[in-house]
Amino acid sequence: MAATRALPGSPRNIDRNSFSYRLRKQWPNYLFVLPHLVIFAVFLAWPILSSLRISLYDWKIMLPPDKQNFIGLQNFIALWKDNIWAKTLNVTIRFTIMTMLLNISFALMVSVALKQNFFGRSFFRTAFFAGSVLSVSAAAIIAGRVWDPQRGILNYFLVDVFNLPRIQWLGWPTTVLPTLSITTVWWTFGFPMLAFLTALLNIPESIYEAAKIDGAGPRETFFKITLPLITPTMLFVVSSQFIAHMQMFGQSYALTGGGPGNESRTVWIYMFDTAWKFFRIGYGSAMAVMLALIMLIGTRIFFFLFRSRFEY
Amino acid sequence: MAESALPALAPTRRFRFSTQTLILWLLLLPVVIVLAAPVWYMIAKAFTPEANQYKFPIVWTPDPFTMRNFEIILGDRALPIFRWMLNSAVVTSIGTLLVLLVSASSAYAFARLEFPGRDAIFSVLVISLLIPGVLQVIPSFLLMRDLGKIWSDLGLDKNPITGGAVLKFGLDGYPALWLPGMAGAGAIFFLRQQFYSLPKELEDAAIVDGAGRFRVFWQVAMPLVKTALVSIGISTALGFWNELFWALIILSSREAITLPVGLLVLTQSGYVQRGLAFSGAFIATVPPIIVYAIFQRQIIQGMTTAGLAGR
Repeated sequence: MAATRALPGSPRNIDRNSFSYRLRKQWPNYLFVLPHLVIFAVFLAWPILSSLRISLYDWKIMLPPDKQNFIGLQNFIALWKDNIWAKTLNVTIRFTIMTMLLNISFALMVSVALKQNFFGRSFFRTAFFAGSVLSVSAAAIIAGRVWDPQRGILNYFLVDVFNLPRIQWLGWPTTVLPTLSITTVWWTFGFPMLAFLTALLNIPESIYEAAKIDGAGPRETFFKITLPLITPTMLFVVSSQFIAHMQMFGQSYALTGGGPGNESRTVWIYMFDTAWKFFRIGYGSAMAVMLALIMLIGTRIFFFLFRSRFEY
Repeated sequence: MAESALPALAPTRRFRFSTQTLILWLLLLPVVIVLAAPVWYMIAKAFTPEANQYKFPIVWTPDPFTMRNFEIILGDRALPIFRWMLNSAVVTSIGTLLVLLVSASSAYAFARLEFPGRDAIFSVLVISLLIPGVLQVIPSFLLMRDLGKIWSDLGLDKNPITGGAVLKFGLDGYPALWLPGMAGAGAIFFLRQQFYSLPKELEDAAIVDGAGRFRVFWQVAMPLVKTALVSIGISTALGFWNELFWALIILSSREAITLPVGLLVLTQSGYVQRGLAFSGAFIATVPPIIVYAIFQRQIIQGMTTAGLAGR
């Protein structure tokens, strides 16, 4: 457009692609992005970068930044020797794997059922997603009553109705993580379910008809056609689930406080205690950096796995 | 005639009763009942007197119906639950508007306008989407604390307007809850695609008619992406309404806390009355459920297309 407006025989040959020319002509456009960019720089980019820096200091909460004591990698060395850190990392990873597997398989099953065109479909779609609008505090209040060892709904059925032994769902080291995992699935599976449902509805029906003509059974159709076709969504769901559950905080904080012992204490809770209860800011930042690093490696692996398996 | 010759291609929304429908109902209904039973139990017990909270065998209806729990909760000055709800409403509504305004204008510029460094800036924003939130919480907290110090050094916290939670920077102020949300690039990423897929002719026509860049954005492009704005707005609002960790760290005064933090107060610190916790949970759950019922389609659309499905 600009080229057509240029007068023929203009005195100087202006380079319209030069930086200074573009800056002069286009600077008002910066006003559109400026509000966000300023906030982004101050409240996101800067905190992320300074997290890396703080993790190298014995950071005292009351001192100004220039008075802080630089200690190099000592926080990370201490982390390496810290048994509680190893425990919380172990808890976090076990919780993440368990919840991801449960959440994704359950969400996939429900979305395959809800993909069908049947009477009452929209009722079920609404009902299955409704739990996801609860806040974690409300979900924990409700779940607390389900798992309560003496007066809980579940133990009522187990002990009083079916005469089975009483289970300390949140009180035993062996049951606490699976219990929190099931709670999380109950509360959050609506998100992966919707993602799968959208992907499934985008698969053209003609592919299934072709498969039927070729004599493919339902199982073959699911594993050979449906799953490969929803690979991009699967990658998205797997990585977002991974990121969400590796940063689990609320469920443990509200339901168990990390107990019994440290059996449900996630990295995020340990970081919260370290930084906000014991004011060891540098050490807490080192935890944050390590967790972020592990998560970046994890997502990288998922990307690699899913890309190499389904190349078109 | 032509239509009836091709029945398979004609999209029909009428459902036929079939064995498949029956099987699906038999499979799905028990699952829904199991998933919904705890929520129903919470509602029933919110209206049940404290003495009957633990009655066995379990009674699944209010037993007998009472508003006593709500009266206790609303009468207790240490538990200003309506105040918390109001706080949550303020945090959610203003926060969502701010996120939408800042993100939409930025997204429009990245989709339609040209300026030096545009693509480089955008790729920085995309990279920021990949960095886990755990990295920013500690420095953000220190930053908010320092901002609060500046705020009080300037004497702004004594002023009834700038010292109230809505305008107060620093701890116990809501800008500290909004700013990290506004800094995120997720909404920009999503809205940019929406602006990008609009037909350019409408905007070109407006430019020919002499509209400035901002008017084109505000009066032509914005109305066209209304659905996307509603979708992303709802998921943003849900995030603000349910935020626990960050609110727990930033807000400490009983007057300023939001509902998710307040609900924890109900369950901890000596308030072990189950009926109170349930009526609190009930009060906290009603607004999102109503919003969900009204905007169901947009929510589902927003959740799936906005790529915010992680939690």
